[in-house]
Amino acid sequence: MWLEILNNVRSRKKAIKFPKTFQKSPDEVIETVTPVKKMNKVFGKSLRIRQVDAGSCNACEWECNMLTNPIYDVQRFGVDFVPSPRHADVILATGPVSRQMELALKKTYIAMPEPKLVISCGDCALDGGIYKGSYATRDGVNNVLPVNCHIPGCPPPPKTIVKELLKLMRGISSGSYPPKGS
Amino acid sequence: MTENEEYVEVERDEFRAYCVSLCAERAVMLRLMFAVDERATDNCFKVYAVFSGQNKDTFYIPFFKIKEDDPKYQSITDCVPAAHWYEREIRDMFGLIPEGHPDPRRLVFHESFPADSHPLRKDWKISETDLKEWGEGVVKKVPHDFLKVEGKGICEIPVGPVHAGIIEPGHFRFSAVGETIINLEPRLFYTHKGTEKLFESMSFFDGIKLAERVSGASSFSHSIAYSMAVERMAGIKTIEKIKAIRTFLLELERLYNHIGDIGYMCAGTALMVGQAKGALIKEKLLQLNEKLTGSRFLRGINKIGGVTKDVFLQKFEISETIDMVEEEFKDLLKLLLGQAIHVERLTGTGRLPKEIAAKLGVTGVAARASGLSDDIRKSHPHLFYYKLDLKTYTRTESDALARMMLRADEVECSLSLIRALVRRRYYGNICVDVGEIPPDSFALGYTESPRGSLFYWVKSDQDGKPFRVKLRSPSYCNWPAVPYAIPGNIVPDFPLCNKSFNLSYSGCDM
Ligand code: SF4
Repeated sequence: MWLEILNNVRSRKKAIKFPKTFQKSPDEVIETVTPVKKMNKVFGKSLRIRQVDAGSCNACEWECNMLTNPIYDVQRFGVDFVPSPRHADVILATGPVSRQMELALKKTYIAMPEPKLVISCGDCALDGGIYKGSYATRDGVNNVLPVNCHIPGCPPPPKTIVKELLKLMRGISSGSYPPKGS
Repeated sequence: MTENEEYVEVERDEFRAYCVSLCAERAVMLRLMFAVDERATDNCFKVYAVFSGQNKDTFYIPFFKIKEDDPKYQSITDCVPAAHWYEREIRDMFGLIPEGHPDPRRLVFHESFPADSHPLRKDWKISETDLKEWGEGVVKKVPHDFLKVEGKGICEIPVGPVHAGIIEPGHFRFSAVGETIINLEPRLFYTHKGTEKLFESMSFFDGIKLAERVSGASSFSHSIAYSMAVERMAGIKTIEKIKAIRTFLLELERLYNHIGDIGYMCAGTALMVGQAKGALIKEKLLQLNEKLTGSRFLRGINKIGGVTKDVFLQKFEISETIDMVEEEFKDLLKLLLGQAIHVERLTGTGRLPKEIAAKLGVTGVAARASGLSDDIRKSHPHLFYYKLDLKTYTRTESDALARMMLRADEVECSLSLIRALVRRRYYGNICVDVGEIPPDSFALGYTESPRGSLFYWVKSDQDGKPFRVKLRSPSYCNWPAVPYAIPGNIVPDFPLCNKSFNLSYSGCDM
């Protein structure tokens, strides 16, 4: 064994091959992987979602909840809901953004690591929907955060949500998706 | 104005005494309390309180007039504790001050909403900067102090408004010693969307769409209560077939909510099989909803004067799903009650004493699980309920398990009601003629939503347009009771307690 190790050391062979980038300092590594590239690499296969209710009527929440039931089982596509924004790639905001939730929504967005995407879910997240023009709402997530993708419906049925999420992931990995928000 | 609403005008200074004697003599509880800005016509505000009991189908509605230049009245909270949120809300929305109210803080609006600004006043205006600052939430204009709990070893745990799960936003301030909670103070109204004001700018016929979107999981109940109020105002009498369809859909809504809630409680005890099974049955029911009405949440089926579709044409689909649900639900219940860990976690958790529930005017599942027989389907029969064999279940244990078992009982009851409704034949149209809504009329609409009694009070102006819509969802009167059920429990049990009540934030925040 000792002899083998000595040989390995002499020939500079490594037991585990490190990717080339690891020979650089961590800061450099992050520089070399551009956000877009990282997005293709990571978001193409797995998407971690932080759902935020920004004043929705709770039907949109229930539909998101139903996504994890045995019928839609969204985890099999690599999509999952995470408890902390620090673990999330995507913020899925529902509701027209009530003014009393605006700050919390922004803070959640800020707490997420880069690169990050924003999805607005449901008609009232698009432009306020039925709540449009109310004194207590911001008329859509668009007015608060840079939205990348919208899921239509009131509430969007789980099928639509899954379809849109998969479309987003495919779009990202094929590079055709313009990530507006990042 | 309709048969079972008794309006009595009292003097402002006698209002309190009147309410007290009403409560004592008639064994009634406060159902809702609200104000109306009638300065344009009567040169005053009016404050209404709606009382009703279990034994008689009458709503006692005392009201008093109050002038703008002397906007003070005596608070009734100390003798009718159920009024404490209503009075604070009226102060926020209209600027009428309840003197002697124990809690001087605002209810609906958070710190950065400007002081002395009351959105439900007809002449209310707000500047763009104020609105912007309200949203940004940086400038604190009116302080809101949480109750300070002090002592050795007490720590404060702030949670929310954004929670770990996929649920609605609300802030909770726990004071705990180790794991045991000493005090809980919730801060709600994050999802306040100005719904009541918005109702005033819509026609009565569009209002139903908004009513459906007040609280998603009880969309249909809200639309029923709203349409009922408007129909009573206009004196529209619906026929048997419409009543039967509406009753059927109400029970369907109760069914999917209760089963979903029972399954969802398993998430609190980490019993994933139960959760998955509950979600599965719920999904089946939601799919039935979609087949019947085109919407998974029963939206768009109810309208003023009737319904848009005869769902009884699909009898076969209904009975097929109902049979399957019944079987699966029995299975689920067997599974849950066979799990010692699950039952153990629920027993004695989140106890809401009967006296407190009665005082705070708690309604629905939470009230019945605490031994109060509060069921508005029974005490104020409406729609088709007076023809059905309806049982009101109560339990006395008042803990989370009682709430779960009560839901299970009600699921059985709903299943049999649905069967009974589908079995009969009905003739006639699915909607009746709706003329103009008469000007200056008002009425109450109510129903029992899955979470408890639900009220709408609607008034039209001189042109027959909506003048004031007051809505009171069951969550609004159950939220104040939650902090009483929590102390003594451990922090990790809070989600479980919360799920056993399963209140809607959006319905409460309006
Ligand atoms: S889009 Fe519809 S279902 Fe979703 S939150 Fe808005 S009103 Fe509710």
